Amino acid sequence: MADVRTYTLIYVALLVLGTGKFAFFEFTPYDIALAATFVLAIAKTLLIAGYYQHLIEEPRSITYMMVIAVFMVLLLTVAAGYSIQ
Amino acid sequence: MSDLPPMTSVKRWLVTTNHKDVGILYLITALFFLLFGGVLALLFRLHLWESGGIGLLDGSEYNQAVTAHGFAMVFLFLSPFAAGFANYFVPLQIGADDLAFPRLNALTYWFYLFSGLLVGISFFQGGTFAGGWTMYAPLNVPTYTPAMQATTGGNATILGLTLFVISITIGTVNFMVTIHRSRAEGLGLWNMPLFTWSWLLTVWMMLFAFAALLAALLLQLSDRLFLTTYFAAEQGSGLLWAHIFWFFGHPEVYIVFFPALGVMFETFQTFTGRRLVGRKWVIIAMVLVAVQSFLVWMHHMFLTTINLEIKTLMMATTIGISLPFDLMVFALIYTMVKGRVRFTTPFLFSLGALVLFILGGITGVFLGAVVLDYEFRGTYWVVAHFHYVMVSGVTALVGGLFYWWPKITGKMYSEALGKLTFAVYFIGFNLLYFPQFLAWETPRRVFHFAEGMQIYHQISTVGAFVFGISFLIMIGTLLHSLKYGPDAPDNPWEYSRTAEWAVPSPPPLENWGGRPTYATGRLEFVDETKAATDGGVAHGAEADAVGHEEEHADHASIWPFGIGVATFVFFLGLSGITSYLVEFADARDHAVVGAPDPNIVYPALTALGVVLLGVTLFKFGVEEFNAPEMAIAERWPFEGVGNTKMGVWVFLASDVVVFGAIIGAYIFMRLHHGWGEWTTVPFASWPGLLNTYVLLTSSFTVILALVFAERQNKKGLLGAMGATLLLALTFMGVKAYEYNYKFQIGEYWWTSIEHSIYFVTTGLHALHVIIGVLIALFMIYRIVSIDAYMEDHRPVEFFGLYWHFVDIVWVFLFPLFYLM
Repeated sequence: MADVRTYTLIYVALLVLGTGKFAFFEFTPYDIALAATFVLAIAKTLLIAGYYQHLIEEPRSITYMMVIAVFMVLLLTVAAGYSIQ
Repeated sequence: MSDLPPMTSVKRWLVTTNHKDVGILYLITALFFLLFGGVLALLFRLHLWESGGIGLLDGSEYNQAVTAHGFAMVFLFLSPFAAGFANYFVPLQIGADDLAFPRLNALTYWFYLFSGLLVGISFFQGGTFAGGWTMYAPLNVPTYTPAMQATTGGNATILGLTLFVISITIGTVNFMVTIHRSRAEGLGLWNMPLFTWSWLLTVWMMLFAFAALLAALLLQLSDRLFLTTYFAAEQGSGLLWAHIFWFFGHPEVYIVFFPALGVMFETFQTFTGRRLVGRKWVIIAMVLVAVQSFLVWMHHMFLTTINLEIKTLMMATTIGISLPFDLMVFALIYTMVKGRVRFTTPFLFSLGALVLFILGGITGVFLGAVVLDYEFRGTYWVVAHFHYVMVSGVTALVGGLFYWWPKITGKMYSEALGKLTFAVYFIGFNLLYFPQFLAWETPRRVFHFAEGMQIYHQISTVGAFVFGISFLIMIGTLLHSLKYGPDAPDNPWEYSRTAEWAVPSPPPLENWGGRPTYATGRLEFVDETKAATDGGVAHGAEADAVGHEEEHADHASIWPFGIGVATFVFFLGLSGITSYLVEFADARDHAVVGAPDPNIVYPALTALGVVLLGVTLFKFGVEEFNAPEMAIAERWPFEGVGNTKMGVWVFLASDVVVFGAIIGAYIFMRLHHGWGEWTTVPFASWPGLLNTYVLLTSSFTVILALVFAERQNKKGLLGAMGATLLLALTFMGVKAYEYNYKFQIGEYWWTSIEHSIYFVTTGLHALHVIIGVLIALFMIYRIVSIDAYMEDHRPVEFFGLYWHFVDIVWVFLFPLFYLM
């Protein structure tokens, strides 16, 4: 387990990243905002899963299982989306 | 010792959590649904005696019978029958005392039983669902079916299936944890018995596939109960359903067939007296199939408007998936060649299954080719192929029933009657299904066919009755065995090698006399009590282990049954609330034609179900129930994480797919609509940003709660949990404000597809928040009343895992719905 200071720093980082998404759509072109928002969302997810859910301290197999689940979602969404292009 | 009533007592079967009892319940219930589905099949086969039917069923009744037959066989019989064997034998084969979560195992069974009852009751609610077992859109929503009056029965059917999927999900979590973390010392994955291997891969596939089905069913329920328009939209609905359904549906074929394959491997080894040829390669082939099963789903969509590139790719992956199966088939054949075959009843059924599966598999490859599929799609070729594959699985499972019957009951059966059963079964099967290949030009799902096809259909109908008779002979054989059969020894089959044959028939409640171990490379039993007292052998961790082994394990709880009843009442109530939603919509200028009359019984049942659920879940939560973890066990690759924590993670993996599929549905529909043409529903982005801050802060307070629990600081823990609760309620308050804003300007979830997707996706997330609120309330009550989590802080961590997941989902929902 991390200490309270680390948890607090991550919390602040999450708030900043969350605000960043909003700011991108306010101040940058749509396409850039779209790409940047996905990057920020992934960064936030990694911080929450890695440190708040302590994935970095768990056996790697748990991480792999979650990665497979995310892969399944991407597979379904991307392949279905591509199928109608 | 156990506090279980004897097996002759009805109470025993209501309270039992023992894996063998639950296995028996599964087997008996599944056989009941087999008869239910079988009678429906006999009905429509009789109707098909002549083109246009013989007047036995009208059009709607025919559709209902065919649909319910599909649901009963695919969902309520096949997988649960295999689950019965898995419940009984997987713990025995791996040397475990029970499943990791015995009460959840019982709950899984009760949810299964009540899901079947809901499907059964739906016949008496104006008619059951009649849109085919694939539930294709838009026929899966009442708007596009002629009998709007059948809404309630259709709802009950879909709710029943949803309950079934919930049951599967809980069972999946349980078996994943059990097989990965409760294997006897020295039992590595490579050396696991092949039936257990097949079941392990089955539950891995179930984990992801059934989550997609749950997403599809939730969307359909939203359309049916709350009048959203996912599957009634002008464009994209049919493709959306087909994608999500078949992402589940194709792996489902292997989910159903793998346990049967496992039975075939076991029986071939036992009755040829030889280890399976190429055993390691067979395991690798099964893993390959499990992976590939998720890469072929669009071969069910060759006749839709998906592009040719993806069709070609799916044709290649479909042909590719047949290759590992070839390896398995040749391994079985070569095992027979190398061994000395004993033609017992279980072996005959397994061999028969192999023959039927080869025929079913080859005829399936035809359908995997795009050009041929254009011709065969929607014909009896598909019906015949499908049944040769699925019912070959049934054949092997019936072999499994004869194989394990002496172990379960302690009685031998008559080989002569067993062989008679097989002969009638095999003749009936081929008489029933083979003519359907010859009559392949007959269109599916209707009872009109060309005159020249009549003879094949009549032979098929005769075959159906012969096939049905074989099941009656089977039941007679087994009942005869129960009454007159000689006692079975521990191992009635020479050369069977798996651990279930090393214990008495039937096995004792606690399974083992001593702790099973494979440390020396073969199965042995360690006498723990002797180790602890004789010569001071046990030291340190081992001594602790001995202490744990001696912990009393509970085997009885009434609350899984109670939760099952409560959920049944709740779901039954939900099935009849559409009428009230229609009234609500009517009052807001949204007319829905032909809705059934409101019936106050349904809202009353819904309310009663909520109350019962509250009481039973609370009782379940506070009940003292001990299910000790095995102290010494093989756990690769999941060592270093406790059973419950692993269970939470497996559940979250499943929830990732549920949410992911629903978010994927949004992206798909938006792409179909034109990304830039999409109308953003929220009135502003600031409520989304505000709720982002609120949820992130609640994630922080949850992690603080864990820190306080670790420090055994009760006030801090209470404060942090209380803050989390308040933040969750704040989140819900902002959401309510947003929703209300839309309602005030006359926009509801039925207004457009954009509105439907916004309300359903954010609503499902809000439902997760509400569940989190209820858990937090329960935990606060426990902290206040019994100083909970001071000694053992793990439940706070488990709650945190769930709560952070809810937060992560919002990380994606916020930009998708408020910013893009």
